[in-house]
Amino acid sequence: MPLVKRSIEPRHLCHTALPHSIKNELECVTNISLANVIRQLSSLSKYAEDLFGELFNEAHSFTFRVNSLQERVDRLSISVTQLDPKEEELSLQDITMRKAFRSSTVQDQQLFERQSLPVPMQETYELCERPPPLNILSPYRDDGKEGLKFYTNPSYFFDLWREKMLQDTEDKRKERRKQKLQDPHMYDQVYKYLDLPVQLKNIDRPHDQEKIPRAPHDRKKEWQKRALGAELAEDEAEDKHKDANGSARLSLSLCRQMYIDQLDGPFSLAALPYSQMNELLNRTGDRSYGRPHEPPPPPPTYPPASVISSSSGFSDSVTQSPARTPVFLNSNAPPPAPPPLPPPPPPLPASQSGSRMRGSAPPPIPPLPSHQPPAIPPPPAPLQIAPGVLHPAPPPVAPPLHSSPARGQLDKTPPTAGDGMVLPPPPPPPPLPLPGNRSSSPCASSGPPTMPSFPSGAVSSPPTHSGHEVRRYPSNLPPISDARSVLLEAIRKGIQLRKVEEQREQEAKHERVGNDVATILSRRIAVEYSDSEDEDEFDEVDWME
Amino acid sequence: MAGQEDPVQREIHQDWANREYIEVITSSIKKIADFLNSFDMSCRSRLATLNEKLTALERRIEYIEARVCFKSLTRVCRTFFV
Repeated sequence: MPLVKRSIEPRHLCHTALPHSIKNELECVTNISLANVIRQLSSLSKYAEDLFGELFNEAHSFTFRVNSLQERVDRLSISVTQLDPKEEELSLQDITMRKAFRSSTVQDQQLFERQSLPVPMQETYELCERPPPLNILSPYRDDGKEGLKFYTNPSYFFDLWREKMLQDTEDKRKERRKQKLQDPHMYDQVYKYLDLPVQLKNIDRPHDQEKIPRAPHDRKKEWQKRALGAELAEDEAEDKHKDANGSARLSLSLCRQMYIDQLDGPFSLAALPYSQMNELLNRTGDRSYGRPHEPPPPPPTYPPASVISSSSGFSDSVTQSPARTPVFLNSNAPPPAPPPLPPPPPPLPASQSGSRMRGSAPPPIPPLPSHQPPAIPPPPAPLQIAPGVLHPAPPPVAPPLHSSPARGQLDKTPPTAGDGMVLPPPPPPPPLPLPGNRSSSPCASSGPPTMPSFPSGAVSSPPTHSGHEVRRYPSNLPPISDARSVLLEAIRKGIQLRKVEEQREQEAKHERVGNDVATILSRRIAVEYSDSEDEDEFDEVDWME
Repeated sequence: MAGQEDPVQREIHQDWANREYIEVITSSIKKIADFLNSFDMSCRSRLATLNEKLTALERRIEYIEARVCFKSLTRVCRTFFV
């Protein structure tokens, strides 16, 4: 049944009780009816005036629009006559640098809320009974919500939708950030503003000192590269970095820059004997089981980085680990099962990174554990791994390593990846960067701080040490005897502090967003469908707010 | 008997006349209300088509402006991006 917008006031003309002291009742009724007729006419005229007023307002707004359109058309006609094809200089830069045309589409939003109710309906609404005054109870509530919201909340569904959208944007952004975590170039632009566990940032810092001064220029360079067209940009990058000598890191960083997908970076283990590898893996496997309360621990068997020929390798392994966590949290099934298998997928993405560096079309990077078996048999042909990079150890991969010597950088690796290389300590169980898992991160963070203190220790000691540290924490009250544990306490406090800050930040963000459907939707869409570069701009803008 | 009926009949007669009068008035009120409703609906539909045409025109003009006078626009874009 449709809602009545306007109703004429006295509905029934003569449905009134007659006074008793009347002799001529018929005349009385007639008079009463006539009086009601007059009242009806008055309400009719009131509604007619309201109706014409609404129509007039709409038409009036149209006159403004038409006038402005008229002016624009006049201006355009003048400028068209002034157009001179010879004057126009079209450079390649102009074509690529110019912002693409976007027409301004106005989205209708918030159509059916209290303020947009038409006047006659508002008057009808005012006539109704009010809801019970439950808001007088709200000062006595613990959770700070309004009492009336539990009885009737007109904005309930909108709030629900908005929360969902914002949460989705946050999730997507965090996913993207994890992907970008492997790119040390992004440190200044993204990492600084992230509340990552301290170790990740600290570990990254010393190795990135030479890159930090470069990072601010990146954007301009990127734009300049793109100015000449996307096709030419890749060539420039190739030429630049082919020659660089200790260019392990540079090529690495470039590789990562090219990526959008999740990748495990160039990563390799030395050509260890299989038994030693297995030992390593099993030890780290034990360590993972020593922390039962941590949510499905990303298999620390996975990144046993056994060889570093340069220090960047270590940072690689550390930075890669958080990126791997989402994959392993999702596909938790065979984490310890194929211990020798985890290393081979890294060479696949490594190969693909290398191939991308050369500008060839990379095969799609398969999700790791489920695709390990098929991934190994086809030996990655363009195995271009920079010399500073760790190599896959297991024998099935070693032959392909040696079989593709044609790639320039690869030549350096087999000789250097000898058995005499020092094994770095197994990288820490990847600290979970998700805020929801903060409770477990103190334990995860126990790993990394112990790691830097054993830079070149033997393999056996770090795992047992970290195992010790790790097994201490489930008991919740470690004796404060070590300097390490003091550090860990501080870190834990730091993490808790960050949690509160993050909450505050989120609340502030929600307030800022307000009820603008358009902005919420646009953010969500931007996060989901945009390129990584748009994502950068968007991220920065948003974080800067 | 005729005398008794007469004033009553006269009253009833008068009453019927009054009722007919009131009926005429109320039916014309209903006609006015109907007219107002239909006028409102038709006006709104016309205004809506006008609105559509206006927005289409505005978008076209924006596009043409962008095509025609890009020099000023490039200056604007450069200030945004660099």
